[in-house]
Amino acid sequence: MADEALPTCQKTISVLWPAFLTAGVATILFFTAFDPAVLLQETRFADTSRLGAYSVGFFLFWLLTTTSCTLTCFFRKPCGPK
Amino acid sequence: MANSCSKKNKSDSLYVSDAKIYPRAVTGLFAMWRSIGVLVLLGIYYIVPWLEWTERQAVLFDLPNRKFHIFGLTFWPQDFFYFAVLLIIAAFALFFFTAIAGRLWCGYACPQTVWTELFMWIERKVEGDRPKQIKLDNMPWTAYKIRIKATKHFLWLALAAYTGFTFVGYFTPIDELASRIASFSLGSWEWFWIVFYSFATWGNAGFMREQVCIYMCPYARFQSAMFDNNTLIISYDKQRGEPRGSRKKSEDPKSKGLGSCIDCTLCVQVCPTGIDIRDGLQYQCIACSACIDVCDSVMDKMNYDRGLIRYTTENALQGKSVKLFRPRIIVYAITLILMTTALTYAIATRVPLEVGISRDRTRLFNETETGLIENTYSLQIINKDEQPHRYKISALGIDGLKMIIKSDTVKIASGEVLDVPLRLQVDPYDLKDRSTEIKITVISTDNPDININEATRFLGPSGRR
Repeated sequence: MADEALPTCQKTISVLWPAFLTAGVATILFFTAFDPAVLLQETRFADTSRLGAYSVGFFLFWLLTTTSCTLTCFFRKPCGPK
Repeated sequence: MANSCSKKNKSDSLYVSDAKIYPRAVTGLFAMWRSIGVLVLLGIYYIVPWLEWTERQAVLFDLPNRKFHIFGLTFWPQDFFYFAVLLIIAAFALFFFTAIAGRLWCGYACPQTVWTELFMWIERKVEGDRPKQIKLDNMPWTAYKIRIKATKHFLWLALAAYTGFTFVGYFTPIDELASRIASFSLGSWEWFWIVFYSFATWGNAGFMREQVCIYMCPYARFQSAMFDNNTLIISYDKQRGEPRGSRKKSEDPKSKGLGSCIDCTLCVQVCPTGIDIRDGLQYQCIACSACIDVCDSVMDKMNYDRGLIRYTTENALQGKSVKLFRPRIIVYAITLILMTTALTYAIATRVPLEVGISRDRTRLFNETETGLIENTYSLQIINKDEQPHRYKISALGIDGLKMIIKSDTVKIASGEVLDVPLRLQVDPYDLKDRSTEIKITVISTDNPDININEATRFLGPSGRR
């Protein structure tokens, strides 16, 4: 497989980088539609600053997109005996 | 030597562990244009956050307060539409310029190119040009090497840190940011983003460089879709150059059976992505024209005509005529003009006020004790101006329309949203239809230019009684 030839570093980046891009877009769209100060006011995170909420939101989106990118790579592996 | 430099292009794998590329410094017409691009773009980047506009930062994307200031204009999240149109315009501009002149963006304007140029300039000032850099890297770690490398990284990191600081200065007022850095009282997220952006600058412009263009850039992967045979490309004139080979300046190449290429490999040495342009058009080529500049200087020295490597098109190379106005160019241009006009018009006529009307969904209409037909609405009024305003609310459209409202003038602070419940009553004899269009007007009492007329419907029992 061509995949086997990929250095681990580049495999990792090829998952993290597209996830980063889409997480950025998702963050912009999400926080344009929803004000974190309003979303969080009834919760125990009510003290979080908007900048903090945007940042944490971005990393949560990144975690989500990274997970789906990783799963795509994982399920692309051929299964069954060689 | 040329073969060893271009070997990686022939590899099967998409990702190859590359040898470090040491682009040689180049001077010439296109290098000058790129320097101008670097100076202008970086100048804009570093200076803009310091500009003032009526006692506030002229360009401030104030994320903590959810509003963007761009000179005299203020945009709110409700104005996302403008941003979307702006992105579409940017995309079509990219398509348009790519279809005409190839990867202009990559060679002259992309932040990756611009910062890499600046970092390479520092590197050359500290370490010297390509041969000295190669020699230094092959050297054992002596005190001299450590001193040189430490100087380079100190300068790089200082520049990267200032770049990160400037970046965050677009999102939080930069003069406050500077004074809070000086007094070590920065918020943790501001620290984080300054360090993050600095680190990204240092890594991208100092180390990753062409790898970003080749492996990470989505545009590099799809730009070829915008190319056709009339698109400007940088190309080596094979017909004229081959067979390549070394010769003395005094020798006539024809008598030796040689073309114009003296095989000096300078075009490979100056290439920031380490390709050999003589192998033909390659997607790694960011069209920076360094090879044109250096080859022209060699042609001058040899007393040959310039342009062995030049800006040309596929059609010109094949001796066909070049057409500028192709259907795709016309479509891109028209879209671009329409979108830009629409956006300019929309922003010029923009009213810093937004009114949303929603009807009471539980019942279409009521009949009051006195026999009037009543509809219930909820107005959502958003003051998108920098100042607070008083607004007067009125309704029109049916004879004898009566408005039941707590107060028909409301005061709304800048950026605030106010929900106003509103009931309208009509004598059923004045109702001609089951559904009648009415207009609700919200007008600022201190500035009548700020007004919105929003249409909605008044529902009643069927027909006239």
